[in-house]
Amino acid sequence: MSSHRIRLTVNGVAREILAPANRTLAQLLREDLGLTGTKQGCGEGDCGSCTVLLDGEPVNSCLVLAVQAHGHEVLTIEGLAQGRELHPIQQAFVELGGIQCGFCTPGMILSAKALLDKTKRPSQEQIRRALSGNLCRCTGYQKIVEAVSEAGRRLSRGRR
Amino acid sequence: MLLPKFDYHQPRDLPAACGLLAELGPEARVIAGGTDLLVNLKHGRIRPKALVGLERLEELTGLDSGRGRLFIGARTSAAHLAASRSLGGGLRLLAQAAGQLGSPQVRNRATIGGNLCTARPAAELPPPLLCLDARALLAGPQGQREVALSAFFKGPGLTVLGPDEIMRGVVIPRPGLGGGGAYLKLGLRRAMEISLVNVAAFLQLAPDGRTIAQARVALGAVAPTPILSPRAAQALIGQRAGDKLFAAAAEAAARDARPIDDHRGSAAYRRDMVRVLARRALEQAWDQARGRRGGKS
Amino acid sequence: MAAKYDVLGSRAPRLDAPDKATGRARFADDLNLPGQLYGALLQSPHAHARIKRIDVSRARRLRGVKAVLTGQDLPPILYGVSPARYDEEVLARDKVRHVGDDVAAVAAVDLETALEAVGLIQVEYEPLPALLTAEQALAEGAPAIHDLFPGNLCAEVHQEFGDVAAAFKQCHLIRSGRMVNKMQDGAFLEPNACIAEFDRRGNLTLYSSTQAPHYVQRTAAMVLGLNMSQVRVVKPYVGGGFGPKAAATPLELAACFLARRSGRPVKMGFTREQVFLFSRARHQFFHEMKIGVAKDGTFLALEHRCTLDGGAYSSFGIATVYYAGSLLGGPYRLPNMRYDGWRVFTNKPACGAQRGHGGVIARALFEQQLDLIAQELGQDPIALRLQNTMQAGDVTCNDLNMSSLGMRECLQAVGDGSGWRGKRGRLPRGKGIGMASGFFVSGAGYPIYRSETYHATVTVKVQEDGGGVKVLTGAAEIGQGSDTAMAMIAAEALGIPLRDVRVESGDTDLGVDLGAYSSRTTLMTGHATKEAAEDAREQILQALAEELGVVRGRLSIRRGRVKIAGGPVDIGPLRGRYLKEHRGWTDQPTGRELSFREAARVAYLRQGTIVGTGKYKPPPLGGEYKGAAVGTSPAYGCSAQVAEVSVDLETGQVFVERITDAHDCGQAVNRTSVEGQMEGSVSMGLGEALFEEVKFDSKGRVLNPSLGEYHIPTIMDMPQMKCIVVESNEPNGPYGAKEVGEGAIMPTIPAILNAVYDATGAVIDELPLTPERVLAAIKKAGQNKKGGRRKG
Ligand SMILES: Cc1cc2nc3c(=O)[nH]c(=O)nc-3n(C[C@H](O)[C@H](O)[C@H](O)COP(=O)(O)OP(=O)(O)OC[C@H]3O[C@@H](n4cnc5c(N)ncnc54)[C@H](O)[C@@H]3O)c2cc1C
Ligand code: FES
Ligand code: FES
Repeated sequence: MSSHRIRLTVNGVAREILAPANRTLAQLLREDLGLTGTKQGCGEGDCGSCTVLLDGEPVNSCLVLAVQAHGHEVLTIEGLAQGRELHPIQQAFVELGGIQCGFCTPGMILSAKALLDKTKRPSQEQIRRALSGNLCRCTGYQKIVEAVSEAGRRLSRGRR
Repeated sequence: MLLPKFDYHQPRDLPAACGLLAELGPEARVIAGGTDLLVNLKHGRIRPKALVGLERLEELTGLDSGRGRLFIGARTSAAHLAASRSLGGGLRLLAQAAGQLGSPQVRNRATIGGNLCTARPAAELPPPLLCLDARALLAGPQGQREVALSAFFKGPGLTVLGPDEIMRGVVIPRPGLGGGGAYLKLGLRRAMEISLVNVAAFLQLAPDGRTIAQARVALGAVAPTPILSPRAAQALIGQRAGDKLFAAAAEAAARDARPIDDHRGSAAYRRDMVRVLARRALEQAWDQARGRRGGKS
Repeated sequence: MAAKYDVLGSRAPRLDAPDKATGRARFADDLNLPGQLYGALLQSPHAHARIKRIDVSRARRLRGVKAVLTGQDLPPILYGVSPARYDEEVLARDKVRHVGDDVAAVAAVDLETALEAVGLIQVEYEPLPALLTAEQALAEGAPAIHDLFPGNLCAEVHQEFGDVAAAFKQCHLIRSGRMVNKMQDGAFLEPNACIAEFDRRGNLTLYSSTQAPHYVQRTAAMVLGLNMSQVRVVKPYVGGGFGPKAAATPLELAACFLARRSGRPVKMGFTREQVFLFSRARHQFFHEMKIGVAKDGTFLALEHRCTLDGGAYSSFGIATVYYAGSLLGGPYRLPNMRYDGWRVFTNKPACGAQRGHGGVIARALFEQQLDLIAQELGQDPIALRLQNTMQAGDVTCNDLNMSSLGMRECLQAVGDGSGWRGKRGRLPRGKGIGMASGFFVSGAGYPIYRSETYHATVTVKVQEDGGGVKVLTGAAEIGQGSDTAMAMIAAEALGIPLRDVRVESGDTDLGVDLGAYSSRTTLMTGHATKEAAEDAREQILQALAEELGVVRGRLSIRRGRVKIAGGPVDIGPLRGRYLKEHRGWTDQPTGRELSFREAARVAYLRQGTIVGTGKYKPPPLGGEYKGAAVGTSPAYGCSAQVAEVSVDLETGQVFVERITDAHDCGQAVNRTSVEGQMEGSVSMGLGEALFEEVKFDSKGRVLNPSLGEYHIPTIMDMPQMKCIVVESNEPNGPYGAKEVGEGAIMPTIPAILNAVYDATGAVIDELPLTPERVLAAIKKAGQNKKGGRRKG
C-alpha cells in the first residue's frame, strides 16, 4: 500500500503527516492529530457526526481520504473557539439547550458555521436544510434550530 | 470501519490517468468524490488494489456553455449543480435533482461523474439528464467518444464504460424558450433518502405555447437502470398540453416501469407512484415551460 | 410571587455543554491507554446453528495477535439481565442463536490485525432451522432455541384485576382492535465502545459507553469471578442510550477477558452494523384489545392480549412483557383489566428496553381505540379522556398509586395550546388533527436483581477551602442532563449558587446507582443528592452555630450567604480569621453576612473534611400479585399530545406539521432539560410512527443495518413543537420532581395515528406508517364505507 506525505492546514495550523493511502480524514484527525472532537457515528456518510469543514464546506470526514485533503484547509470543532471564549454558535447551543448527549454537536455546529458564513440571517427552512445531513437522536432538533437562529442574530449584530 | 489496503495514484492529466488505468488493469478503480466508492470499500463489496484519484484532472471540471450545448465536467459536485446559475430555465430540473441528493455533506463531495458511473437504479441525476438528452463524454487511451446517456447504463452498477475509460463529463443541448422540466422524488424521509421512485419530466412547447414539440419522461428505481419512458413520450409529442393529457402520459409511463418488490416497497406501489409522480412532474414542467412557477410538489 | 426556589426550575445551561460544544468532552472511543490492544469479535453468520468446531490456530499465529478467545476458554457462567433468566454467554459455546451472536474474540496490536485474525478463524456450523417469527417459534415441534426453555416461551403473564367478564356484560359499547409494530433500533448516535484494563493486582477498570455502570460492574464481576470491589466501571460521556445500553454487553465482557488474557488494556467498539446486530431495542408487539365503556363513556373494562417477539435472549424482556400490560392501569379509571402476555424466543437479535419500555405500542392501540369509541359515542376525544382521567390520590386497579397526576391539566393545555376546538373535524380532507395521552413510571420500584440494595447513594463533599462542593455519584449522565439536575438539587439544598457545585458521576467507585433507565434518576438519585446535600449543610451549620455560640435553629443558607435569624450576632472574629488565612487574595468576603465559603471553612477547621451522604430506596410499594414489581413506582409522570398532519392522498406520505405537547414532570428541575426530553421523545415517537423498522431477510440477516436505511427522523422531518410543562407537586419526589424522560414518548404514536384517521378516515393497525401502507389503508377506507368518514 502506498504512503503519502500529506500537507494540509488544520484549524489554521499547517501540518504535514505521513499516512497510508487508506487513511480517512476522520482517522487522521482523531488518531494522528488527537482531535477527537470529530466523532464517528457510522463511518458511512449517514449521520454527519464526523462533519468538518473542508475549505469552508461541510463534508463527512469518514468519507474523505486523507490524501484527498492534501493541500486543503480543514476546520474541526477544536478550531472554532477563540481562546477561552466560545464561538457565538457554540454559545447559543450551550445557552438554548441545543446539546444533550453531545455526540452530534461538533458536526451540527460546523454545519451551522458553514451556513452562517454564507447566510447571515437564515430562515428556519434554510437552517433545516443546512443541517439535514446531521442526525440527532436526543433533541428532536427544535432547540438546535433555535440555537442556530439565535447565533445568526448575534453574529449579524456583530456581537461576540 | 476500516478501509482495505490499496495504492493511491493522482495522475496529472486525463491521458496520464487513462494510461495508468490501462496499465493497472481491472484491479484499479477511479475515485472522484468517493461517497459511493468508499462506502463499498468499507463494506468489502469491492477490493481494488489501486485507486486512481481524479482531483488533478482539470479536463473534468467546468460548467461551460457553447454552441447551444452545455458541458458539465465529471468532477462537478452535486452542491455546485444545485446552486449553479447555469442551470436555470429548462435545465432547472437537474439542479432540483442535485439539491435532493443525500445531504449537504454528501453533495459537497458527490460528483455528477460518480453519480452516473455508479449506475444505481435509484440515483438522482440520471433521470433529469436523460430527460435533457445528455450525452456522456468518455475518454480512453485511444481518445474520446460520445455516448447517448440512454445507451450508457447496462444494469445495476453496469455501464458501457471500459476499464481504462474515464468519464470526462456530459453535454446537454440547451433547451430553448418554451422548455420546462421538473424532478420529483419519493422517499420516506425529507432528506438523506434513497428514492423509492423518482421521475423527471421535460417538455418543449411549440411556438404556439400549447402544442408539445418534444417530451421526455425518465424514471428511476423502477427498472435495472434509470430509463426513459417511450410510451409517455409518444403519448405527449404533438399533442396539446393539458391535465388530461398528462394523466394519460403518466399512465403510459407507469406501463413502461418494470419495478420489483423489495424491502423498501412493492412493485405495485412503485408502479402506482410512477403514475402519480409523472403526472405531477409533467404539470410542473408545463408550468415552467409556460413561464409559470411550479406549484405542487 | 417570589420564585419558590433559587436554582430549581431555572434554565441554567448544562454543566457539560461547553465541553461538548468545543469537542473537549471525551466519549469512550476518544480514550486511549498506553499499550492498549484493539479487540474484534467474530460473529455468527447463521441465525441458528450448532457450533461443531472452531479452529483459531491461524488467527493465533498471525503476527501482532495477542489473545484469541472462544467460548471454551471462558468460565461456563451464564448471565443476563434478570437472574431468573440468565441465558447469555459472552461467547457462544455450543450454539449460536442469531446472526451476530458472538463466537470468538481477538485482541491485537491494531484493529486491522484484529480484524484480519477474526477472518482467519474457521468455524464449522451445523445449521438448525431458523425460527424468525413468534408463530414459527411456538409451532409444534419447533426446535428449542434454549434448552432451558422448551417451546421457546421466555415468559408469560396472566393477570386479572376486577371482574372483566362481568364488566363487559354491563358495557354499552365494546370495541376491539389490534396493533403490530416492527422491531426498533435505539439508533443512539454513539456506537458502543469500551476499554478494559487490569492492574497488576488483578483489579479491573472498564471504561464503557453504558447507561448502567452498576449493572455492568455486577455482571462483569460475576462472569469474571471477581468481587464487585475489584471491578470499577467508569462511564465517560455517553452518546445516547435510550435503553439498549442499560445492561452489560458481550463487547464489554469480551474486552475484560481479553485484557485479562493479554495483560494489556483492550479497546473495543461496535460498528454501526454491530449495534443493529446486538439490538436490545424495542420489541415487536402483537397487541389485541377489547375495550368496553358505559353509555356515558365511562371506561369499564379492558381485555388485552399481547405476544412479544423477543429475539434470542431474555435481556429486559421479562420486565417488558409485564410493562406491556401494567402501564395501561393509568392514567384513566379502569376498574376491570385482564392481561395475557407471552414473550417468545426467536432467532433474531434480542430485544430489550427502549424509551417508554414495554408500554408504547400498547398505548398506541389503546389511545387509538379511545378515539374510535369517542366517535361512536359522538363525544370529543379530549372530553372523553377528561371524563375518565384519574386524579392525584387515586389508585389503579393494579395498585399503582397516583401520588400526583396532572393529567387533567395536560389535556386542557394541549387542547388550548393547539387550537383543538377550531380544528378538530373542520380540516379539509388530507389534513388531520389527533391527540392522545400517556403515562409512565418514575423509576422502577425494584432493582433488576432481588435485593434490598439502595437504588442510589450519593456523597456531597464540601471542598476544604469552603469554595464549593462536589457531588459524587454513580449516576449515569447519558445526555439526559442528570449531572446538571443533581448539581441543581445540591445547590438548592445547600443554598449556594449552581456554579459552586461540581459533579463527578458515572463511576462505580463513587457509590451505588442503578443507572439511567426507567426514568429513575431525577427522582431516586435526586432524593439521595438532596439528602446528602442537606446532611452536609447540617454539619456546616452545626459547626458554625457552635463557633458563633448561637443555636443551630437560627442559621440558614441562601444564595451563598448565611442568614442569622433573631437579632445581630458578631461575625467579626470569624471573618477576621478567614481574612488572615487569605492574605493577598483578591476575592475576600465582604458585607454584613457570612458567606457559605466562610461557614464551610470554619466547619472544616473544626472537624475536618465535611462529607454529607444520602441514599434512596423506594418505600414498599403496592401490589401483592405476581408481577406487581413491574409497573409500581414511587411516582408517575403523565402527558398529552396533539399532532397535526397532512397526508398526501395519492402517495400516502404523512407529514407531521405541528405537535403540541404537555407533560407533568412534577417540579421541573431544569426547564430547558424538561423540554429537551419532551422534544427528543416526540422525535423518537415520530420516527417509530412513520419510519423505523429493522428488517430481516429469510435467513435472519438484518437487511438495513445502517442509519441510511434504518430511518430516524432528520431535522427536515421534525415539526415545530410546542412544549408545555405542567408541574404537579409529587410528594414522593425530591422537591416534588418526577419523570419526563420516557413518558413523553407515549402519546406521540397514537396522536399521529388519530390525526391520520382524522385526515383520511383510515384506521391503521400496523406500524410504521409507510406511504405504501397508508395509501393501502386510505383505499380500503374509501371502499369500505363504514371505515370512511365524511369531513365537515
Ligand atoms: C449518505 C449518502 C447518501 C447518498 N444519497 C444519494 C442520493 O440521495 N442520491 C444518489 O443518487 N446518490 C446518493 N448517494 C450516492 C453517491 O453519493 C452518489 O452516487 C455520488 O454522486 C457519487 O459520486 P462520487 O463522486 O462520490 O463517486 P465515487 O464514489 O468517487 O465513485 C463512484 C463510482 O463511479 C466511478 N467514477 C467516478 N467518477 C468517475 C469518472 N469520472 N469516470 C469513470 N468512473 C468514475 C468510480 O470508479 C466508482 O465506481 C449517497 C451516498 C451517501 C454516502
Ligand atoms: S461517521 Fe461520518 S457520516 Fe457518520
Ligand atoms: S445530542 Fe445526542 S445525538 Fe444530538
